[in-house]
Amino acid sequence: MGGLVASKEDRVDHLRMRPNFFHMAVGSVLVTVIIFLHFQLIPTFDLPALVAIGFFNLLFVFLLFPLEGPLLRKTVLLIGGNTVGVLWYLIQLSFKEAFLVLNTDAFKIIVLIAKPLIDFVWIVAVWSLSLSVLASYRIKMERLEKS
Amino acid sequence: MALVALITAYLIRHYLFTLTALYHKKETPPSSSNKTVYEPKVSVMIPAHNEEQVIERILQRMTELTYPKEKLEVIVIDDASTDKTGEKAKLFAKNYSFIHVVHRDPAYGGRGKPEALNRGLKHVSGEIIYCFDADYYPQRDIIEKLTACFIDPKVGAVQGRVTVLNEPHSLVTRLVALERTGGYRVDQFARNELGLITQFGGTVGGFRRSLIEQLRGWDPDMLAEDTDLTFRIYLAGFKIKYVNDADCYEEAVENWRSYWRQRSRWAKGHMQCAFRHIWPVIWSKNLRLREKVDGFLLLNIYFVPLFAVLAWILGAALFLLQPLGWMNLLWMAVPISFYSSVGNFAPFFEVGIGAYLDGRNRICWLIPLLLLTFMLNILICTKALIDLCFSKITGKKRHKWTKTVHNGNGSHYIK
Repeated sequence: MGGLVASKEDRVDHLRMRPNFFHMAVGSVLVTVIIFLHFQLIPTFDLPALVAIGFFNLLFVFLLFPLEGPLLRKTVLLIGGNTVGVLWYLIQLSFKEAFLVLNTDAFKIIVLIAKPLIDFVWIVAVWSLSLSVLASYRIKMERLEKS
Repeated sequence: MALVALITAYLIRHYLFTLTALYHKKETPPSSSNKTVYEPKVSVMIPAHNEEQVIERILQRMTELTYPKEKLEVIVIDDASTDKTGEKAKLFAKNYSFIHVVHRDPAYGGRGKPEALNRGLKHVSGEIIYCFDADYYPQRDIIEKLTACFIDPKVGAVQGRVTVLNEPHSLVTRLVALERTGGYRVDQFARNELGLITQFGGTVGGFRRSLIEQLRGWDPDMLAEDTDLTFRIYLAGFKIKYVNDADCYEEAVENWRSYWRQRSRWAKGHMQCAFRHIWPVIWSKNLRLREKVDGFLLLNIYFVPLFAVLAWILGAALFLLQPLGWMNLLWMAVPISFYSSVGNFAPFFEVGIGAYLDGRNRICWLIPLLLLTFMLNILICTKALIDLCFSKITGKKRHKWTKTVHNGNGSHYIK
């Protein structure tokens, strides 16, 4: 009973990091280009969709790009996340079109209330998966440094 | 608009905490056990009501603490247990002279932790008093790490970090572990670094005996006696320090029913504290502006899920009224309010960054599932508020203390 608890992943000692401003700057440029492309390629892109995609990209730039990790990996994750976001939007749009025949206020309210939840599913899921990729990288690098 | 502003304030607060935990650099308090020269006599209080499954584990750990035993005193408060808690504690007391057991009569005891702690307070002789719940399992050198903070005379209390021991047991324990990561690794850490209101969690922490005596102990009417004490300490002009590397493992609730019960007590207790301390915090001369703002937000934190519901209802109402011209401006607030309520992803990112800082990559995958606890907390907080209002109307002052049952499953994860 006297031993240490160690049945989970070892916790990494926290060394305060310095944000990678260069990666943030590159991320900002990429996000601007991506949002511009969204509007060019998807003519039906509306304000709620822009809010969701914009929110995701903003979070990515401020909370993922400054972290430790290769720029290429972050870029791939950003593009992947945006692809998921667009697919998600298209699925929502098809549902919206399918239910347009109903066109009732009640249905619109349901959509309105459910929208943040629906967006939550993809934004948080993509972000947390990306974060786990960067955390794995950080652990790997720290182990390499130790060895 | 006020609702949107309030929820936005929480959003900013979460991001501020997250970024602080990631990047803020400030001199941390002395916490190295090897450098500690300040070694006052300390007392550890362990309140225990029907904890036969876990009491031996923590008492065994107390015997393994590295703090000099001649300066250590452990007081087990057997709070009218009907199982073998008292007998097991007595056995330890027989073998170790620094362990003492205080038995409470069933006629008076078993009515909650604050009462048990008040009883224990009469028996302690240490200059610094620590509290550990019976299901906890601290690091061996935790007392040294925590005690080092008391070198500063302004520090009235200190708080260590809580980590879940039985994390792999179920989905609930894993989600609780995530919540704890965000709560301690990011929230508490950032509050400490930014000089805001660091919360005393009621366990894995300690305070000066002189201070707790000055404050006349714990209020038995409060369900969140820890939050109540936190604000009383700050209002008295003292600070609370958080020591991130003073780790202690807890046995988290293992199923949704226990989760509901525990969080209901927390929500009710926190709301009680909000009603009690909100004005004293605003008008206090001992608090700086930033502490007042953080204190205000902290006191109202259990109302946030209710704000989310309110945002939904208002959103739907605004939607119906949309054709009215002057409402168009308000209509614009709807997406904003949504994105700052359920769409308020900030707490989830806070948890994610906590896990990242701990190097816990796989647990990040579970973050989206925290939506379940968020939704559950909406119900819990709504019910808590209704219960409190009902108690006010009926004049009921005392609330029933719902004890969290610990079955000792955490022991399986100790090598």
